[in-house]
Amino acid sequence: MPITILPPKPSRPINNNRPSEDDIYNASDSDSDAGTGGGGATIDPDGDHAMLPPSTKRPTTTRTTAATSSIVTPGEQITDDPQWMRGHGTYIPSTATGRAAAGAIVSSVAGTVARTNKLLSVRPLRARYTPEVGDLVVGRIVEVQAKRWRVDVGSTQLAALPLSAINLPGGILRKRTETDELQIRSFFAEGDLLVAEVQQLFGDGGAVLHTRSLKYGKLRNGTPEAEAGAAGITNMEESVSTTMYSSQNDRIEVETMREIARLRGVVTALVENGLRVDEDMVVRGYHEAVEMAMVSVEGSDDTYLGGEKGQQLAAALTGV
Amino acid sequence: MASSQHVLLSPAELAYLHASLSLAPPIRLDGRSPTQFRPLVAETGILPGTNGSARICFADGTEAIVGVKAEVERTAQRPGEDTVFFEEGGVGTDDADEEGETRDGVDKRKGDASWVEMTVEIPGLRDDDSGTAFLSAMLSEALLADGEFAKRLWINRRFHWKLYLDIILISPPLSYPLPLLSLTSHLALLSTRLPRLKSEGDEDPFFDDDWAAAPHLYPRTAATTTRPPITLLVMAVGNNIIFDPSKEELTVADVALAVSVTSATSPSTLSKPHTTDAEAAAAAETDPESGRNLRLLSIRTIDPPSRLTPPGVANAVNAAYGAAGTQKATLEAQTAAETEAVEGVWKAPRGGAKRAVLGALVQKVLERGGVVDEVLDALEAVELG
Repeated sequence: MPITILPPKPSRPINNNRPSEDDIYNASDSDSDAGTGGGGATIDPDGDHAMLPPSTKRPTTTRTTAATSSIVTPGEQITDDPQWMRGHGTYIPSTATGRAAAGAIVSSVAGTVARTNKLLSVRPLRARYTPEVGDLVVGRIVEVQAKRWRVDVGSTQLAALPLSAINLPGGILRKRTETDELQIRSFFAEGDLLVAEVQQLFGDGGAVLHTRSLKYGKLRNGTPEAEAGAAGITNMEESVSTTMYSSQNDRIEVETMREIARLRGVVTALVENGLRVDEDMVVRGYHEAVEMAMVSVEGSDDTYLGGEKGQQLAAALTGV
Repeated sequence: MASSQHVLLSPAELAYLHASLSLAPPIRLDGRSPTQFRPLVAETGILPGTNGSARICFADGTEAIVGVKAEVERTAQRPGEDTVFFEEGGVGTDDADEEGETRDGVDKRKGDASWVEMTVEIPGLRDDDSGTAFLSAMLSEALLADGEFAKRLWINRRFHWKLYLDIILISPPLSYPLPLLSLTSHLALLSTRLPRLKSEGDEDPFFDDDWAAAPHLYPRTAATTTRPPITLLVMAVGNNIIFDPSKEELTVADVALAVSVTSATSPSTLSKPHTTDAEAAAAAETDPESGRNLRLLSIRTIDPPSRLTPPGVANAVNAAYGAAGTQKATLEAQTAAETEAVEGVWKAPRGGAKRAVLGALVQKVLERGGVVDEVLDALEAVELG
């Protein structure tokens, strides 16, 4: 079957009986860590987002309702109760606007409200990565400068990888020379995929990376998703000590390629079905995918996990 | 012609992709079979103000909307044999013409390419961007190549329908959007209805205002299997032919073709010679017994981004590669690396497409009961809203 065309899913039922604000924000402080859903980033495959009821139907009070399960939008007032402190993803406007009173806490992102004691923050539905010192990151070189590379690590800004923060060939510890600066592209060039560690953070959130370990270096022999999975999760990654700057792939068996495709399919299916992508989920998803392939009509060599198969996989993982 | 957007991939990834796609059978990144398309979600009739509309989404969030709007327009009259001088009591002669038409069975309808206006909008790209202009040219070329489509817009000798096709890609293009836009336009044209004509002959057109009675632009009866054209993106890696390539797969393509095909009603129309101005248009083999009569409308080569990718460096000549500091054998190795293919090292394809590969690509598309047939069947199964 070369093509499957599905009708769009009916939009989800609208939840009208949302708890009022009093129930949420005047609740006792003991249940501080209210469940915030924690659904993570969700992409609706056919774009049928459950819409909030039109604003005419909403309560006309300035105190907006914001249930624990509901989503707040940028500029929407969360509360004007002065007992709350504002956290990440919120701000307090100086003047009253159409949707919020002066001094009220207003959401600056689209996401779910999270409460920690008296701190109100909004967890964005889709956020970029925020680097922390010591994080292992996979990035792609997007720019080569005179003495450093600029690396896309999925953050709001490009991370910097200085020439002085890599292991130079011909001896692990030596000073960088002008020759190294001239042949900077022989180490990493535009488009190269590498694994590195965050060494330092700038005040504005920009990161400085380093690859001064034999664990770090250029990634090869696969595709990004599978490589990242393999490197971080099953420790299949070979030692990169001698191959740090190589761009030549080793001989890869067909079976390995097939499993790499399967692993990539698992990660894509998780993302498309709005599930969390972490080590546990990927390992479970992979085992589930292998079992699904065993019983499928196409045989165990079939690694396709798109469309309905991806939904099956997600359903099996969430136990619904 | 114009290539798709540049994808930044490392030489190691490109080498891996190329190796896995060259296997027999190829292993695609998402596990699809070579002829398999990405799953689609489709619906029609989403825009109430249009004559026909459709929406198609991919699972990755790429989404396209097409609206078809029709207007009655006066046909520009050129002095010639069929010039109508309405003031000179044309009604009487009209009747004679109508009879004549039915008597000798000659189709007097005429079409003109200017009766169809197509706009393509892709977020992040200017309207006059070469990529957008090329996409729009390819899609309208498929529609107008055989001149049959414009004939459907003929009302009488003085008036015709002017069709506006607005193609909008809602999401940023995550992959080369040609197949998505083409399938969506196909669906929109399938669902397009034009008001039923009540007037006769060459008088000013007068229409039935009952929308339920409006006939489809492409009527669905058993007798006619004529369908709007579809343009498919097909690529070749090594000897493998791959349909509906993703962005990453297109990056390692040796050849990429946009092939426009349509299914025609009867073999008799196929026997007519069709020549188009710009590109090769050829009638496909027909076999009235089974399946559809697929007709090739146009072929365009897409410049794959693979030609712009940086080559990988073989370990033997890599100065930064751990042990390869020895300067001795480098000269031979360097010449070898320049001229020969080293396993596991990416090298951008050089030279043009091989004629045999191009032939095989077109053959595969036009295969009776093959991919195009199933795609057309699947599109027909979409409920018209």
